[in-house]
Amino acid sequence: MKRLLSSIRDGNGFDIVLVAFPLGFLFLMAGLPLLYNILMSFQEVDMFSLGTFLRPFVGFKNYQDLFAQPETWPILGNTAIFVTGSIAGQFLIGFGLALFFWVNFPGASWLRGLFLVSWVMPGLVVGAIWNWILSGDFGVLNFMLRETGIISGNIFWRSDPNYSLYAVIIANIWLGTAFNMILLSVGLASIPGDLYEAAELDGANAWQRFWTITLPMMRSTIGAIVSLGLIFTLQQFDLFAAITSGGPNNSSNVTQYWAWDLSFRQYDFAKGATISVIMIVFVMFASVVYVRSTRHEVRG
Amino acid sequence: MTKQIELSGVNKYYGAFHALKNIELSIEKGSFVALVGPSGCGKSTLLRSLAGLESISTGDLKIAGELMNNVPPRKRDIAMVFQSYALYPHMTVEQNLTYSLRIRGVPKAEAKKAAEEVAATTGLSQLLGRYPRELSGGQRQRVAMSRAIIRHPKAFLFDEPLSNLDAALRVHMRKEIRTLHDRLGATSVYVTHDQIEAMTMADHVVVMKDGVIEQQGAPLELYDRPANRFVAGFIGSPAMNFVPAVVGEDGRSLAVDVGEKQTITLDRQLQPGRRVTAGLRPEHLHFVEPGQGVFRLPVGIVESTGSATYITTATAAEVTIVETARRPVRTGDIIDVSIRPSDVHVFDGESGLRV
Repeated sequence: MKRLLSSIRDGNGFDIVLVAFPLGFLFLMAGLPLLYNILMSFQEVDMFSLGTFLRPFVGFKNYQDLFAQPETWPILGNTAIFVTGSIAGQFLIGFGLALFFWVNFPGASWLRGLFLVSWVMPGLVVGAIWNWILSGDFGVLNFMLRETGIISGNIFWRSDPNYSLYAVIIANIWLGTAFNMILLSVGLASIPGDLYEAAELDGANAWQRFWTITLPMMRSTIGAIVSLGLIFTLQQFDLFAAITSGGPNNSSNVTQYWAWDLSFRQYDFAKGATISVIMIVFVMFASVVYVRSTRHEVRG
Repeated sequence: MTKQIELSGVNKYYGAFHALKNIELSIEKGSFVALVGPSGCGKSTLLRSLAGLESISTGDLKIAGELMNNVPPRKRDIAMVFQSYALYPHMTVEQNLTYSLRIRGVPKAEAKKAAEEVAATTGLSQLLGRYPRELSGGQRQRVAMSRAIIRHPKAFLFDEPLSNLDAALRVHMRKEIRTLHDRLGATSVYVTHDQIEAMTMADHVVVMKDGVIEQQGAPLELYDRPANRFVAGFIGSPAMNFVPAVVGEDGRSLAVDVGEKQTITLDRQLQPGRRVTAGLRPEHLHFVEPGQGVFRLPVGIVESTGSATYITTATAAEVTIVETARRPVRTGDIIDVSIRPSDVHVFDGESGLRV
């Protein structure tokens, strides 16, 4: 007993305790629900068996039923558009801003900090603001597009099935750009300045320096930000709840919102769990990419 | 000899800070010039101005006869070896070497051949496929040099390239750089804070302090006839001893104050009674038989390196003596030393200028 105590005080035991706490927390709060979710996707769940743990095992029936539903493929397609559109927009605008602030004009860091405001805002608040901006009759976006002559009639962003998904994508790009910019700024700042001087003396102009020095040196940062972007956009729920609620007629529905809708509005917990399991596969893939790219961050 | 680099009336300001003050310097084609001075003296600023990484505020900078004041670095045709080497970490050695060629659109096969040729001369042939992080400090140093050589530039600029290497390798690379310079017939400007590097490598040494060129000339000229106290103290190791002195009434002797007043004879005529500083190089102070020297000095600290013994005296103005004969000297001994009149440097007591 005494040996055990002294080990905990200043030996290996202390390290084990340190590791055990977060591991235990992760297992309890994330691991168990995850496993329960996977289990549930192979079970028949209804309102009456909700409280029990062992329910009738149905194999892949939930998966088969899910893909037999007509809305499944369109919603998966929406998710793909939402993820690629959001990541592309967030990354390109974020990178552009990061390069802009990298020039380091007076007040650059102050202004860059201000951009973080969008990132710390709750999704529901952002959604509410964008509801005004996107509003069909009196929205600022329509006003600007009309005045610049890009559109002739109002677009009903939230209720037109052709635009509803893009309405959420626009709001999500606005929400995530600042985060992209900050991470990319950090990546840019960690490139040693003398590399640029060496490249300049080697005859490279600004464009060549960007392609041969900046981009390759940012590879791990870009890998990390894109995989984090995938994880974050697959988690984006608030904006859908606030702006379109997945509608009209599922035209802006995505898997994460649909899973919630199935589970907690239609009480089809098995299907909800099934969709979650499919999403877990994608998120796991993104996580592996993320971990790999941050591991390679060691610079020569 | 043609002038490869010419600076006239060059000034550099950072806001109110005057970093380079009226620099006049001309570098002949094929020569090896060392810029040396304590940190913050402006030597690196001067080098970066040559490269175009800093702009000069006033004055003219010409490279190979062309005015370069407003020419961007990439059009100056100058190669630089950085203190940090600044190797491209995401490229292999070969890609590092051929970067400048690829930027200029040299065909791949040609660039590869050039890289192999340069690598053969710098001993990198086996390492062409490696990344910089897989190389030792000395190998990185070679890659940095090879990257400069491959371009056949108008001039090579070195910014303290050896300061990250260990002492033994530094001595070795010193010779290697100089050999390479001679073989290429290149024009090199070399910044260092180490006066030994400057003295051993360069044809022409420029000593700087606070943005001013204190003196420039051949290494031995600087050693034999330092223009002022600063240069005298900076060039030579261990540093020159400075002792306050007054010119004797005959004008051909110095009353030197090292604990007790002692007199040295001079080989030149000076104004009697003038307050001066006598500069005595440690290696010029010789042991003599008791009673025959000009100094009788109590020994303070004795440091022996094997090849030489550094003796520091226990006097008010400390005097260091370098002795190579392995004389048994111990702390507390009284020693008799002498100096040849021609080896005595005299500087003005106030301005510090050579008298």
